Amino acid sequence: MTLTGEFFAFMSLALVAVIGGVLLLNLTKVVHMVVALVFTFVSIAGIYVLLSAEFLAVVQVMIYSGAITIMMLFGIMLTRHHGDEAEPKGGTLRRLFLLVGVLGFGAAVYFGIYDLDFEAVPNTLHENNTEQIGISLFSHYIIPFELTSVILLAALVGAIVLARRDDEKEGDQE
Amino acid sequence: MVQDLLESSAGLLNFSIFFALAVVLLLVILGFVTMAILAERKVLGFMQGRYGPAYVGGKWGLLQSVADVVKLLVKEDLIPKAADKPLFIIAPVIAFAPSFMVMATIPLTDKLQFADLNVGFLYYIAISGLTIVGMLMAGWASNNKYSLLGGMRAAAQMISYEIPLVMSVLGIVLLAGSLNLNEIVAVQGESGWFILWQPIAFIVFFIAATAELNRVPFDLAEAENELVAGFHTEYSGFRWAMFMLAEYVYMFAMSALITVLFLGGWLPLPFLGFIPGAVWFALKFSLVVYILIWFRATFPRIRADQLMEFAWKVLLPVALANIFLTALIKEFFLK
Repeated sequence: MTLTGEFFAFMSLALVAVIGGVLLLNLTKVVHMVVALVFTFVSIAGIYVLLSAEFLAVVQVMIYSGAITIMMLFGIMLTRHHGDEAEPKGGTLRRLFLLVGVLGFGAAVYFGIYDLDFEAVPNTLHENNTEQIGISLFSHYIIPFELTSVILLAALVGAIVLARRDDEKEGDQE
Repeated sequence: MVQDLLESSAGLLNFSIFFALAVVLLLVILGFVTMAILAERKVLGFMQGRYGPAYVGGKWGLLQSVADVVKLLVKEDLIPKAADKPLFIIAPVIAFAPSFMVMATIPLTDKLQFADLNVGFLYYIAISGLTIVGMLMAGWASNNKYSLLGGMRAAAQMISYEIPLVMSVLGIVLLAGSLNLNEIVAVQGESGWFILWQPIAFIVFFIAATAELNRVPFDLAEAENELVAGFHTEYSGFRWAMFMLAEYVYMFAMSALITVLFLGGWLPLPFLGFIPGAVWFALKFSLVVYILIWFRATFPRIRADQLMEFAWKVLLPVALANIFLTALIKEFFLK
């Protein structure tokens, strides 16, 4: 393996992504967790750029920066911040099972991808991928795309209905 | 030139070239920021019938901002005792870094650009969205009710106004057939500036951009008569300067983006092509910055409830109608 710039970029991005994920699990304050999540998402976007899928990378950052901010807001509003309660730790047996499970999963993934050989088919997916995504989304995959929009719209209307009802009740009481 | 560099092999030499280029850009932007702050104070003074800075650095107060920066740099570094220390420290960095990153994709002239991205416009919007996280973090980490309220307001406002901002540009994307900022300017060279073709989009974009920049009349996140100073109430010295810097670098970037999208970038007016493109860009860019400062001097701040309603009930429908209209025009007249 040669040490190219791409290798360095991939390793550092992957490292940041993994560290962000681990911190997300280990930190205790909700805002800290969300910040760890930001690092993971942004470095995954960086990996997309390395794979020359720049449209996907940009959309990833765009969607998740908004989503993470909202999550942070809800995290601040809906959780307690002074809680020092320590979570009960499991017994030795439970930890042993956990270790076996982790090792088993690791072994399964390792054997699964070790001999995996994708044939390198020359393709043009990396050229003008915004245009290609657009064309296939609006011609070949038009029905799933429209269905997704309808589902999202229904969810939006549902959220508004749920939120509105509270308002009216409060209005009646006043 | 940059294109060749990007495709060359990685090495210490290329790394140092990129590093040097980035430092030069940073210095240019810092120079702009000091001048923009001075210009803002001078123009505000002019509009309010007073002088503005007039002592430090001659009659025009040319060194006033430099003196201010030096003062900020030598100030004591204060971190409140109850603050969340790690977040308090990295919040200004997270708020500032994206503002510098977006500069990479903006073409200043046809030759002078760092990264010619296919998705240039979306890149700008996506990266600038990361700043909100920094602001909200600052508001939360300060452990102060005014800071938290300011951070919440900043988050709600910037997320809401991002949507009309993107939607209004979709009309331009439809006409230009590209998200690449270079190609958008190239199309304007053939068809005329997009401010003529997309006047509705221009108005929506300008309003949403003012809101994204947190400037008057949309500066609710740092409304000084309600929230002390909003999310950076507890910040002082150089950390505070980072937030200010981010704000003014975004002003630079957003004015440059408006110039590129609507005012034809570096393209000259007819019969005046002998003036170089960089000068044209600078002229249009300065005009946009001047209008932003003018807004600040003449508009009152709007109320918090009006702010959200305006984004969702006025700007968004207008932007959607503009997309529809543009699609119709493109389908029936421009085929």
